[in-house]
Amino acid sequence: MNAHQRYQAERKRRTGLLLGMLGATLLLAFLFLFAGRYPTAGFRFPTDWSTNAMTRSIFLRIRLPRIVLALLAGAMLSASGFTFQMLFSNPLVEPGFLGVSQGSAFGAALMIVMGVGSTLFVQLSATFFGLLALLASYLLATRFRFGGWLLRLVLSGIAVSALFSSALGVIKLVAEPTKDLQDITFWMMGGLWNASWAQILSILWVVILSMAILLGYRWKLNLLSLQEKTSFSVGMNPKRDRIILLIVATVGTTVTISITGLIGWVGLITPHLGRKLFGSDSSTSLPGSMILGSFFLLVCDTIGRTVLATEIPIGLLTSFIGAIIFMIILSLKHQEGKA
Amino acid sequence: MNALTVNHLSFIYPSGTKALDDVSLSVEEGQSVAILGSNGAGKSTLLDVLLGWQKSAQVSLYGKPISSYGRKELGRTLALVPQFEQYNFSFSLIDYVLFGRSPYLSGLGTPSEVDAEIAYQALYDVGLVNYAERHITTLSGGEHQLLLLARAIAQQSSMLLLDEPTSALDPANRKRVLTILKQLHAKGKTLLFTTHDANLAYELASHVAMVKKGSLLCYGPKEEVVNTAMLTTLYDTELTVAQVGTKTLIY
Repeated sequence: MNAHQRYQAERKRRTGLLLGMLGATLLLAFLFLFAGRYPTAGFRFPTDWSTNAMTRSIFLRIRLPRIVLALLAGAMLSASGFTFQMLFSNPLVEPGFLGVSQGSAFGAALMIVMGVGSTLFVQLSATFFGLLALLASYLLATRFRFGGWLLRLVLSGIAVSALFSSALGVIKLVAEPTKDLQDITFWMMGGLWNASWAQILSILWVVILSMAILLGYRWKLNLLSLQEKTSFSVGMNPKRDRIILLIVATVGTTVTISITGLIGWVGLITPHLGRKLFGSDSSTSLPGSMILGSFFLLVCDTIGRTVLATEIPIGLLTSFIGAIIFMIILSLKHQEGKA
Repeated sequence: MNALTVNHLSFIYPSGTKALDDVSLSVEEGQSVAILGSNGAGKSTLLDVLLGWQKSAQVSLYGKPISSYGRKELGRTLALVPQFEQYNFSFSLIDYVLFGRSPYLSGLGTPSEVDAEIAYQALYDVGLVNYAERHITTLSGGEHQLLLLARAIAQQSSMLLLDEPTSALDPANRKRVLTILKQLHAKGKTLLFTTHDANLAYELASHVAMVKKGSLLCYGPKEEVVNTAMLTTLYDTELTVAQVGTKTLIY
């Protein structure tokens, strides 16, 4: 087999793996529909589907939207994390890194404490402040006079995150403790227990559009991870494309977390796994990472809602499991210099 | 046919630093031109302007102002071989060479089988085809330079711009890169490269432009401009041009 034939075989392998993982995730999503604590804990296939309205309601109005939201949110958060990593040419970056998550958290908490807790206003405020945080990080990095561009971005992201964190602290301090403070705390731990078809529909078009744009750029993301001058020399408009993709990834993330709450690590860990499985070429590792993101969030949410009688916030699980996976990946042999 | 015209080009960075002052030169298709000068002379700035990366109205490509070129059209006309490339992701060699096919892809398209064949041929041309699936992070310095060249070859542009193409290479890899560049020149490719190495300029170029403190000291066929007096003025140190057999040596 010559080099070109090996290349074709590798592409076929990646496509097959993508389709296989997509099929497995969808199959798992279907099976998890039967996991829960009604009528008893564990996997239960309904026998009274046609006669019991409660059964139908639990499956179609509680579990199914929750599973759909897990799939959507996982894919979106993963796609955003992947995009950020490529745009900043840094495998350790995710939207939360540049203050976007803390900005969104502040925006959402602000609406909650102001008593404007409707989903739409929380979404708009979370999105606005997420974008504001990104813009602030970017502008601050251009003003810093210390270190290279990436280091400046990291430092400005830390500063902006800290500013929004302290502002969030003030909001929590003045929040009404029996209602608003609880809402804010739960929002920050992340959770899909509020998932409803109405909520999903309210973010669906933005999320689908964001994912479609990022997927459209899946190959060009490779070029944007190179030096700007190199991507320019192969016909790209790196400055324009970077801004477009940053806005798209940020809007997708903030709109998603406006209803799921803060869910960390998905945007960091699944792109790493995606690149391990599919190689660094983002034309396959981006969609691969998105499927992994869906899979990861689906599994975490199912564990969170089934293992204990009380719900475990999904943000806690993704952080816990994500951190362990991260440590394992970085400890594997032959990882030097690879991302 | 005239490939490139630079007409009284001056360039000042936003910080106020004047990098180029009234530079004019004309390059015919198929020529190999060295931009020769010491470190900080303005060679890389000149290359950036010729690439279109730094904007200027004083540069024309094939009779058309460079500012009127679309990004992809420019990518099909000029290919850059940078001095180094920064990558934090371990692309395979073939992934990286395929990036050179970008100017030929539609809006959000991905490389086709034809693009893959062209990329493999480029890897073959530089002698790296057997490492096509290797990760770029495993390459040596010499292989790395060859890979950058392969990406530019895959771009199939009429002109190659090279920034210090051999400055970081050992003698064996320097010879490999030079051989490939000579082959490309023999096939009619227009080459334009920056270097501070007068021997490289003499060996590879048909024409030499000497740049000192942002100004063009001289420009013309190498036999006419590369001499002891000009080189001594260029580098502010005494250099000798000597004939050793059929070779010209500068020391």
